[in-house]
Amino acid sequence: MAGLINNWQEQAKQLINKTESDWLKSVREQALSKLSGLQEPNRKLELWRYADANRLSQSIAAAAEPRPENPLSSELTEQALVIRISENGFELSTDCPDWLKIKNIQQISENQWQEMIFSQETVVNLANVALFNAGVNLEVQSSAAEQELVIVYDFKDQDKWQYVSNRIELPEHAKVKITEQYKAGRLNLINVYHISDRAELIRLQDFRLTQSEQVVSFNQFEIASQASVTNMHVHMGGSIQHHLHRVNFNGNEAKYKSGSINKSFDNNNISDLVEVNHLYKNNESDVTHRSIAKDRSQIFNNAKALVAPGADQSEIEQDLKNILLSEDAKIFSKPELEVYADEVVAAHGSTIGALDEQSLFYLQSRGISIEQAREIMIESFEQEALVC
Amino acid sequence: MLKINDVYAKAGDKEILKGLSLEVKPGEVHAIMGPNGAGKSTLGNLLAGMPHVEATQGSVDFLGKDLLDLEPEERAAEGVFLAFQYPVEIPGVNNMYFLRTALNAQRKYRGEEPMDSAQFLRMVKQKIKDMNMRDDLLKRPVNVGFSGGEKKRNEVFQMGVLEPKLAILDETDSGLDIDALKIVSDGVNQLRSSDRSFIIITHYQRLLDHIEPDYVHVLADGKIVKSGTKKLALELEEQGYGWLNQ
Ligand SMILES: Nc1ncnc2c1ncn2[C@@H]1O[C@H](COP(=O)(O)OP(=O)(O)OP(=O)(O)O)[C@@H](O)[C@H]1O
Ligand SMILES: [Mg+2]
Repeated sequence: MAGLINNWQEQAKQLINKTESDWLKSVREQALSKLSGLQEPNRKLELWRYADANRLSQSIAAAAEPRPENPLSSELTEQALVIRISENGFELSTDCPDWLKIKNIQQISENQWQEMIFSQETVVNLANVALFNAGVNLEVQSSAAEQELVIVYDFKDQDKWQYVSNRIELPEHAKVKITEQYKAGRLNLINVYHISDRAELIRLQDFRLTQSEQVVSFNQFEIASQASVTNMHVHMGGSIQHHLHRVNFNGNEAKYKSGSINKSFDNNNISDLVEVNHLYKNNESDVTHRSIAKDRSQIFNNAKALVAPGADQSEIEQDLKNILLSEDAKIFSKPELEVYADEVVAAHGSTIGALDEQSLFYLQSRGISIEQAREIMIESFEQEALVC
Repeated sequence: MLKINDVYAKAGDKEILKGLSLEVKPGEVHAIMGPNGAGKSTLGNLLAGMPHVEATQGSVDFLGKDLLDLEPEERAAEGVFLAFQYPVEIPGVNNMYFLRTALNAQRKYRGEEPMDSAQFLRMVKQKIKDMNMRDDLLKRPVNVGFSGGEKKRNEVFQMGVLEPKLAILDETDSGLDIDALKIVSDGVNQLRSSDRSFIIITHYQRLLDHIEPDYVHVLADGKIVKSGTKKLALELEEQGYGWLNQ
């Protein structure tokens, strides 16, 4: 796999020649020069310890199997605005509504660009900065109340990595629900969400992959005072899925609540990492993961909270539960707290086990087959992570 | 209906039932009493097919079938019902949904049409009325946050909906207040019929004031050591189980 960084560099150089604005050129050049000092992702890295990074450089065959079903009952509402991102840029399902301004990500101005901190740990995400050539900039208008939009990632080419970068801005008081849904393509994705004072975001990351599909995503949430973010992740299937959510509280009295359902089968490899930075006083984060691994698949789910010095009255909850459905499946689950403030309320826990035998028997004793009993138990387990 | 013949059984690694025999004919009510740890629940669990409870010898015939050869869900569909001594809580699974799934699974096994939710609802409403139960329990997840007595009532309610041929009630009366005891016994009595049988495991003869048994057995150290009529229960209440050791 010697080629990954070289590949990125070569592609980036070509892209830079073709590029766009000067400031974007320099953004790419900086990323490129940083890349040259780094190694490919590997198991020595904290964030790739249980992810099979080798798969990132393998070529993949077109998928024949069906996509896993969404365990959530709430399906997309019909009238939601759909933004489809593909090789052809972006397309809208209807005319752009007046509560939204949308443009291609390459067309933003320099001062809209958000510097992100990447390191060896996040080298794959750094590659996106050098290479992105699709994505949207969404400026929700403050008139948006209870609006809903869907971003669909839908690339024809199965084998070629696609680098997508989105920037999404919610002004004060705006209230929206944004679903990001994976359709097809080998996707390296960055999302930066800016949530202004008192804005409310409900976001659903619905990533159900067939056995050969691959996704790497980096999601940064900048949350201002009294804002609220409810984030639901559904990750199922895939040759590799690697998701990192980084949340920064930049004000006070804001709330971040996330629920994850990770389900793996066959030889899937899913990483779901959530990192919350309590940089200021009086913010609340609540992270729940429910993961279920079957066959010889692997899941790595991590919740990390950092409380900066002086960020008193932070409230943190991390609740990670995992179920192994076979002896060959593996789950690595780690709640982590790094606290430098004095007055903090924190609760965290993690369990790994099989389905409860007594409960299964109870269902069976009423006439329900063991297979259906397992399904019911799994469903009930997933419910605990439903946050919206 | 049920013929248990010289059964030896282990729970985990421990031999608990040691040569137990019992015959239950259609329509009969058998009460089983006996000291703590004697193996009463093990008997019920063995009949229902609980994992880690295994017969090492003997046989159990239920309506002409080798009961021990069937999966728990098959036993249920054949008509065996166990009201658990300790009902399990299942978060996230709605009681109604659970019951309908169970009923329809049983119907499917028997080659009957499934009940749609409207039919089911009508039937359940009637049962609630018949059995004097509170209906708010049905909207909640199975047994979650139920009080001890509510769990026991829920067991009897499930029995009423599933209409088994053989119901085994394992200390369903324990922890019930006087009114609940009445409700539960009424529930059982309403189901009594010439083709339905009951095995009632209890420590207290007061339940037998409400549910008149045909036989009372004493189970001690893994087998039935004494059988009699309702009078035996009264004697036990007075004398306790000290005589067993003499
Ligand atoms: N899975 C198991 N592994 C080991 N021992 C067990 C297991 N299940 C039950 N036992 C033991 O078997 C014995 C009989 O238990 P059982 O529950 O059948 O008693 P019981 O007659 O129902 O008592 P009680 O009146 O207290 O309900 C007890 O000593 C119990 O500890
Ligand atoms: Mg018992």
